[in-house]
Amino acid sequence: MSEISHIVKSYEEELQNLNDNLIKMGSLVEKQLSDSMEAIIKVDKEAADNIIKNDAKINELRAIIEEQIVTVLVKRAPMAIDLRLTISTLKISSDLERIGDLAKSVAKKIKPLPHDLPEELIASLRRLGDLVQRQLKDILDAYLKKSKDLAIKIWKTDEKVDDLTHTAMNEVADFLGKDKKNLDLATHLLFVTKNIERAGDHITNIAESLFYLIEGEHIEGARPKGKDFDSNS
Amino acid sequence: MISNNIKIKTQDLNVYYGEKQALFNVNLDIHSKEVTALIGPSGCGKSTFIRCINRMNDVIDICKIDGSIKIDDKEIIDNNVDVVRLRESIGMVFQKPNPFPKSIYDNISYGPSIHGLADNKSDMDKIVENSLKKAALWEEVKDRLDEPGTGLSGGQQQRLCIARAISVNPEVILMDEPCSALDPIATAKIEELIDELKKSYTIVIVTHSMSQAVRVSQRTGFFHLGKIIEVDTTEKIFKNPGNQMTQDYITGRFG
Repeated sequence: MSEISHIVKSYEEELQNLNDNLIKMGSLVEKQLSDSMEAIIKVDKEAADNIIKNDAKINELRAIIEEQIVTVLVKRAPMAIDLRLTISTLKISSDLERIGDLAKSVAKKIKPLPHDLPEELIASLRRLGDLVQRQLKDILDAYLKKSKDLAIKIWKTDEKVDDLTHTAMNEVADFLGKDKKNLDLATHLLFVTKNIERAGDHITNIAESLFYLIEGEHIEGARPKGKDFDSNS
Repeated sequence: MISNNIKIKTQDLNVYYGEKQALFNVNLDIHSKEVTALIGPSGCGKSTFIRCINRMNDVIDICKIDGSIKIDDKEIIDNNVDVVRLRESIGMVFQKPNPFPKSIYDNISYGPSIHGLADNKSDMDKIVENSLKKAALWEEVKDRLDEPGTGLSGGQQQRLCIARAISVNPEVILMDEPCSALDPIATAKIEELIDELKKSYTIVIVTHSMSQAVRVSQRTGFFHLGKIIEVDTTEKIFKNPGNQMTQDYITGRFG
């Protein structure tokens, strides 16, 4: 990153403002994701309502960021690091918004659930949720520090997210196999698990955008991929 | 498409104006049939550099050049070089359009006639027409070729100067901030013309507009205090430059 400031102070302020809004958006999304994980495990319907309501704040911030980026593009015609920062921020804000949507989607699945989740399913769901939350926290830290090493580490960890998703989904499938009456609950939990995994995919996108922002190049190699739900390998 | 043929090669080029050194060991390859943009702060040596290529600095008494400039592998920093022939193959367009105080026709025919490129009036008519067509000016002036060139608009005058430059079949066209006195529409017409001309000519353009450098060139060289700091494909320079100084300059951070 460049240590020297722009000659035009207002340009510097515009980029700083953009950065601040993205960080703000990141912490809102972080909270929404952790709230939704806690709410699903506790089957807390009141918390679910709040999560659904709070999603609007994220969308609002995303709209502000998008407008700020359009302004920077038209006013400053950014080059090099500034161009990469602007484009990456646009992409990252879009991924954060999608993670917010997925947290809301998890919250929506809470309402139709019975009061208790079967104990045997909680552990792996929690493991998956914890990992994705840690990934999100780490990627926001990496963004703050502009750390490409952290970005790569997070990018590589998505494989583990896939594996935990695979385990969690198989457990739900077994649970369904035991009794067909479990169908409704199992279906909801499959969606929830898939939503958390997809949040992980968006974090991987953010890691890629961040790497591009820092290095001006794309991360080399194919995305690490863990087991699929329906694969036996 | 980036070509690999080097048209102009400078090696350890040093230029002095009296005691003051303006260029320091400039090593730069200009590729054939491409547009190379030269950027850098005022006084960094860009114009000095292009004025070496057609030996225009010769007219400045206190200017001294050492090092090498080869065009098609032939040394031009050499007292035996026929400078008139050299300038025939290297056209130049300046910041301010400078048509001769003559008719549009005479502006174009002047060069070909002193270089003896036309045997008769009909040959000359053809050269004038072709040059104006290549400069995308023919349609606008074909019915008033006997009117003074200075009566055209600024953008048209600049295209007239480009037509004049290409009328003697040059191989290289040097442009020193050719659009800085033009409005955006006239600028767009020149940029469109540059796109067209690069198919036949090697073009070196000095510009203070970063966005123009991005739009028109395939390679960009960044000069600072008489030194070439970085030269690379234009995409690389403006997306991900290798040198911190280049980045600070193009992003408006220069201290």
